[in-house]
This record gives sequence, structure tokens and C-alpha cells, in this order.
Amino acid sequence: MALFGSDFLRKLEYLSLVSRRTFRGQLLAQRRTMQHGGGIEFSDHRDYAPGDDFRHLDWNVFARHDELLLKRFQQEEDLHVYLLLDASKSMGFGNPPKFDLARRLAAALAYIALADLDRIALTVFADTIVDDFPLARGKARILTLMAFLEGLELRGRDTDLRGVVRSFVHRSQRRGLAIVISDLFDPKGYAGGIDLLRHHGYEPHLLQLHDHTEANPTMLGDVELEDIENGSVRKVTVTEANLRHYRQLFEDFQKGVDDYSHRYGIGHTRSTADVPFDDLILRMMRAQGAVR
Amino acid sequence: MNLTSPSALGWLALALPIVILYVLKIRMRRVPVSTVLFWQQIFDEHQPRSLWQKLRHLLSLLVQLAFLALLVLALTKPYFPWESTAARRVALIVDNSASMNATDVAPDRLGQAKTIGQGIIDALRHRDEMTIITAGTAPRVACGLTGHQRTLRGALADIEATDGPTRVAEAVTLARRLIGDRDQGEIILLSDGCFEDDEEIIGAEDLQFVSIGKATDNVGITQLQVRRSLGDPIGYEILTQVSNLGESEVSCRLEIDLNEEIVDVVPLTLAPGETWSRVFEKTSALGGRLVARLNHTDRFAPDNQAYAVLPDRPPQEVFLVAKDNLFLQKVLEAHPVVRLSLAERPPETVPPGAVLVLHRHAGNTLPTGNVLVIEPGGSTPLWTLGETLSNPIVVKEERSSPLLRHVRLNNVLMPEARRLEPLTDADVLVESVSGDPLYLTFDRGDEGKALVLTVNLDKGDLPLRTAFPILVTNALHWFAGDQGELRESLTTGSLTEIPIPSTEAATWNLVDPRGEELALSIADGKATIGPLDHAGIWTVRPSSIESAEDEKRVEPARMIACNLASKRESDLRVPRASLDESALLRAGWGGRPLWFYLVVLAWLLVTAEWWLYQRRWIG
Repeated sequence: MALFGSDFLRKLEYLSLVSRRTFRGQLLAQRRTMQHGGGIEFSDHRDYAPGDDFRHLDWNVFARHDELLLKRFQQEEDLHVYLLLDASKSMGFGNPPKFDLARRLAAALAYIALADLDRIALTVFADTIVDDFPLARGKARILTLMAFLEGLELRGRDTDLRGVVRSFVHRSQRRGLAIVISDLFDPKGYAGGIDLLRHHGYEPHLLQLHDHTEANPTMLGDVELEDIENGSVRKVTVTEANLRHYRQLFEDFQKGVDDYSHRYGIGHTRSTADVPFDDLILRMMRAQGAVR
Repeated sequence: MNLTSPSALGWLALALPIVILYVLKIRMRRVPVSTVLFWQQIFDEHQPRSLWQKLRHLLSLLVQLAFLALLVLALTKPYFPWESTAARRVALIVDNSASMNATDVAPDRLGQAKTIGQGIIDALRHRDEMTIITAGTAPRVACGLTGHQRTLRGALADIEATDGPTRVAEAVTLARRLIGDRDQGEIILLSDGCFEDDEEIIGAEDLQFVSIGKATDNVGITQLQVRRSLGDPIGYEILTQVSNLGESEVSCRLEIDLNEEIVDVVPLTLAPGETWSRVFEKTSALGGRLVARLNHTDRFAPDNQAYAVLPDRPPQEVFLVAKDNLFLQKVLEAHPVVRLSLAERPPETVPPGAVLVLHRHAGNTLPTGNVLVIEPGGSTPLWTLGETLSNPIVVKEERSSPLLRHVRLNNVLMPEARRLEPLTDADVLVESVSGDPLYLTFDRGDEGKALVLTVNLDKGDLPLRTAFPILVTNALHWFAGDQGELRESLTTGSLTEIPIPSTEAATWNLVDPRGEELALSIADGKATIGPLDHAGIWTVRPSSIESAEDEKRVEPARMIACNLASKRESDLRVPRASLDESALLRAGWGGRPLWFYLVVLAWLLVTAEWWLYQRRWIG
């Protein structure tokens, strides 16, 4: 089955309509950035520095307190949406592979953003940034993006989100919404990378995908565990007790992601890879309070 | 330690593939996972146990090798030398005589003996051998020497109760013969002690006696016989004996019936130890089953009923050809079973079963059939008639002949008897001093029997003697064959012979009182029957009889009455010093072959391996 068939496009259109009716202005478009400038909405004051535009001096404050303070206004700009798509080999695991849903989600979010006149960029990563779809604007770009997504392949060895984000944030680009679509199976930890995003003024959102067999493995006995990311093999004897322990660790990991997201107010959506992408998008909307 | 089958050690070669498989290790299943993050945490936590995990596999190999070694060793059937020298040879004698049917213990004495016997079998040690011998009716080896307990148990369970006498002495002799001169030979006797020579048998060193049952009072019929009366052709006499073999007075009722028709009922009161007997005289031309029942409830049923067979007296056709001899006519008319017909001339043939009496027959031939010739009037192909004998004196009588039963002719006057010279083989029953036959028989083969009395009835005093009607009655019985003969009631355990008519059927069956049939082997027109092991009426009949109607036509002559009729078996007051059977049951504790323990050990190892295997899967 094609990754982006006609059915997919029909669903995209539907999602676009839904987002215009109720989602608009709440998630992506018309979102206030922290850029200060020529807007009309007052933001705060700052001390006058030589060279500042006199027109922005708050004369009322000067008259009362004899202080030169500059009025600052929040500038409304179109939003920049950065999609960080995990293309490490672990995303190829599962039935269907997580990567298929990840690409559909990326396409869907990009379509919604483009439809709202926002700008999107796609960064594909594994242990490093492996590919980029440059910043684009206008719905017309969606087909190019889909072709780009279809052409992607899984690659790289161990996922290194921190290294990837470090490269990402050092790019000269405007801040914006950074949606990370990944399973978050990073040997060095996913939090380092997300922290970097936060610290550099991006607003991260996590879309975490996993497969049922990852949550609930069933193999028993003497087996060779093969890490499909780096190809390493480990001979172990899996017992029922090990399986119970594994499930507990997996659950702790998921809970850790929940706690982390909650602590820093990061948007977080988790799903298995076998759900339809549109359901997941709607779930995200509901989580944001856009749809009931 | 010795090995019975050392060749089984070859199975140890199976260790080679086990070791090869271990060394090669079967390729493990490869399972791809998206990340080993979590697995690393699990297995790195348990790192200290990895040595144990490696050893666990090695231990599995060792367990498997040990398992194989134990099984192979078990297959070789090892044994210690002392096992063969200490093995016992046991003869278990089970008394299944009539007295073992007593129900003073539950379910009965034989049942209790079997229960004890099963315990003794269970207590057999490895390499012990046992034989089972029954001691009722006739000693019989129920199971030959074997150590196979299931076979022994089956043989013991199959032992049936009998109504026969106890034959412990013969059974012990048989047991000693089977055991031979084995040092470890033992004879165990399970009996109620109702047998003769008990002290000598029980006191033997090589015999252990286990007494079954307890002292019990009993009343039983200890004798029942019936016979036809000697004087009355349709009369019969019943000899009955009832014994009180108990310690208290008993009142009961004796009922006698013939073919289910009441003949007599006698109320009895018997003192302790008293034996009551009486002869009943009854009349009936009909024969059949005579049953005596004791209306009394006790713990021993077989002697409360006894059986006898009364011979039938069927009507007999007699044709008399005589002129003015009232003596002869009246003696035949007086016979209750004779249907007399007077004739002027003798018929050419005499019907089967009928008798033709010719008085002063002058013809030169005899008709075919049974013929009694009195004072012959002429010569025939069987004899030549001579002059008269003036006054013959009887000097020789064949007293063993049924024709002369209860008859004495030595002082009877017989003037003018006819001299007669036999021309063929003749059996002379009475002979005069001059050597002339006076009473003789001719065997004419298929033409029938001929009996000749040369006496002149008008001149002598024979018709006036009591011997004359007896002589005629004997003659009629002789012509009738075995009909009317007395058939004695036999005791259980006895053997008998019964003549089988060769013309009626090719094969004959013996039917016991329970209705079970057994084919008879016939030799020389006779069949040997017995030892009879059940009281009741035994029947000999052609095997072609199938329906109940056919069965009713079985002649009394082919029925055999069999009774317990043994005071020794009926006397249940036999306290005996007995061995405590629990000593016998303890003898075989732990007595299992070595291979059994090896298999148990192997089984434990399999359990250990199973545990190790499960540890790998379940943790």
C-alpha cells in the first residue's frame, strides 16, 4: 500500500478543515512568538539605550517618574514549525513499522501548518542529521514534502538526539515549534536533546511511537537478542521473571517521558504504531483542547 | 554386584550424541529487538548470577548423562550376590473346601483367606518365588512358581469356592514337591482347620498355618440316600441324617420333596452334638430329584440342602404265551409296573422294551426281542432239548448276577426239569449237580436277550416260594436294562463312571449344579466324572440339548446327586493356634529389585532437569 495514497490525501483535507474551524490560532497559526517588534500589543518596558527609536519611549512614565523607558510590543509573525523525524533503524520495528506512521504524521502536521500559512521544515535524524527538507511555505509544497518523505530510508546506528539537536539549534533560523516524532529509544537519553531545544527557545512537542511487542515481548528461553539499530547481539536466557521485569522497565520509561513532559509543560502524545494517523492527530487536538 | 544383562551397557553409546549436541549447542533463536536498553538493565543487574547460569547448562548436561547412566544400569538388571541366595520359594496353600464357604467372617472364610493371601503376595521380595495351591476337593496348582506378583494376584483372585472336602495333606505334599530341597522354602497354609491329621500337618517345621474364621455352631444334613424298595417294585426308602454340630440345642424342620412335591416334613429338636437319622419308606413309580431341606438359618449353607436321584419305574409291556399257568399269570399281574397281555401265539417280533414270556414253547425259533422261556417245549437254534431231569439238585448259583439277587434256589424242588444243551455261548446262572443248566441266558446280539428257566412250574414248589416273584421281578429288571437301578448319592470330591448309550448322540456334556457345561470324554461307552466339586444335581446330557423343554426330558438315570455329607466339613467348631499373619506381611518391606531404585533415581534426575529447564524459562 502506498504511504500517501488518495485515502491519505482525503483524510488530510478533512483534518485541514477541522483545524481551520476549531484549531486555527490555537496550535499552529497565529501563534504568538516571543519576537518583540512592531506589533500593536504591549508586551513590557525596557531601559532606553542610545539609538533606540524615540517613538517607542513611554512618555507617560517619563512624565511621572522621570525615567526613560522604552515600550515593547509583541510582534505577530507566522509560525515556524520544525518537524524532527527519527529515521533510525529502531523506527523500522513493528508491524506496521513505526516509521510509516511517523512519516504520515509528519505529512499531516506539515499539511495543516502549510494550510494555515505557516512555515514548515523537516529534519530527518538518526545518530546525526541525515536529511533535511528546507523551510517551506504554501500548500503547494505538500506534494514535494510527501515525495521527500516517501524517499526516506532508515539509516544510522544508535540514535543520538542530543547530538542531533545540538546541530539543529546552531543553525541560524527562527525559533518555533519543534515537533519530535520518535520512539525516544536513545541510549544516551532523550531528555538531553529536548532540554537543548527548550534552552534555545524552541517549543518542543513529543510524538512518541512504539509497537505492541516492544511493550509486551513474549520470547522465552535461550535467545540471541539482536539490536536492529547497531546490529549487536546478546545471548541471554529469558525467563518469565525477566519478562515481568522488562514490562516494568518499559512502563517506567513511559512514565518517565510523561513526567518529563509534564514537568516542563511539553506537549506529549504517545501511541502505538497500529493506529490511524488521523485518529492520532485528532487526539493531539483534543489534548490541546481544540476539539472535544 | 552382578549384571543380569550386561549387553544392555551398549546403550551407554547414547551419551555420545548427548555430549555432541551439548558441545555443538543447538543454534539459538535470534530475536530482533528495537533496542536492548531495557534488556541491558535486566541482565546487567543479574550479572553476578551469570556464572550460575553457565553452570546450570553444564549441570543439565551432567544430569542428562547421569540419567542415561542410571537407565542403562537399570536395563542391565543388576543384583547383589546375596539376593539370589536369600531368595525364598513360597508355597501358598489356600483351602477352598466347603467349610471355607462359612460366612462367620466377612465376606466368607475363602474371601478372608484371599485378602490375607494378597497381602502375603505384596510382601514378596525381589527374586522370591511363589506357587499357589488349592486344597479343596482335589489339590490343584492354581499358579506355578513365579515371582510375578500380578500373575499371582490374578491366580489367587480366580480361586473359586467348592463344596468339596479339604485335602490339606495332599496339598502339603504337593507343595513340598514343588519347593524341593530349597533352604529358603516356606509353606503357608490358609485354612479354617477343618481337616484330618491336623496336628501333624500344622506342627511341621516348614509350614506356617494361618487360621481363618472362628468357632461357629452349625446344623447340617450329613447323609441323604434313596433306593428302590427290595420288595415293593414302586416303593423307595430314604435314609436321612441330620447333625447338630454346635454347642446349643437347635429346633428346626426337615422338608423332603420329590420333583418339588412335598414328600414329608419332620420337626426336629437336636441336642448339642446329636445326630438324628431315619429311614422313610415311600411309594412312587415316578423317579426324579429328591431334595431334603433343613429349615434353619446358620453361617454355613451348603449342608442345609441335600439331593438324591430316585430311579424311575416306567411301565413295562409283557406278552404272555402260556396255557393254563395261573402261577405265572398272577405273578406278572401282581407286578405294579407290568402291563400284561395274554396271547395265543408268540408274535414274530417283540416291541423294543417289551418282554415276551413263553411257557412250554414248542416252536423251533424264538422271535426277535427280549424273550423269557420257561420250561421250553422244543429245540431251537440256541439249544437242543433233551430228556427230563427227574429231580435235579442245585449246586451252583451265580450270586453276583442281578438275575439272582435276593434269590436262593439250592433247596427248591424242581422235578421234571428239562435237560437243555446250549448250542451257542450261554451264561449259566443255575446249574444242577449233573452239570445241566437250569437257568441260563443267551446273548443274541441285535436280536435281543433270551432267558431260559428249564423248571416245570406245575411239578415243583418254585411258584410257591417267595423267591419266584423276586426271580420274575429280577428278570423283568434285567430285560429293562439299567432302568430301576439305584444310583447312589455321591459325596463331593468323589469320582464316578456313568455308562453312555452309544446310539443317542455323538457328544455329551456334563452340566454342574450351577449350570456350567463341560464336554465329556467317553471311552468304552463310559464317561468318568469328577471329582465333583459342587453339591447338587449333576446332569449328563447330549450336547445337542438346547431348550428348556429338552432339558426336562433328561432321564433320571443320567442325573447324579452330589452332597457335602461330611461331618468334618460341617463341623465349624475348630479353634486353631494360628500364626499372626502380620508377621508374614512384614516380610517383604522394601523388597524391590535394584533396577527399581535406579529408575526411581533416574526419575528424580528427570525432575531436577525439568526444574532446571523451567528455571531457564520461568526464572
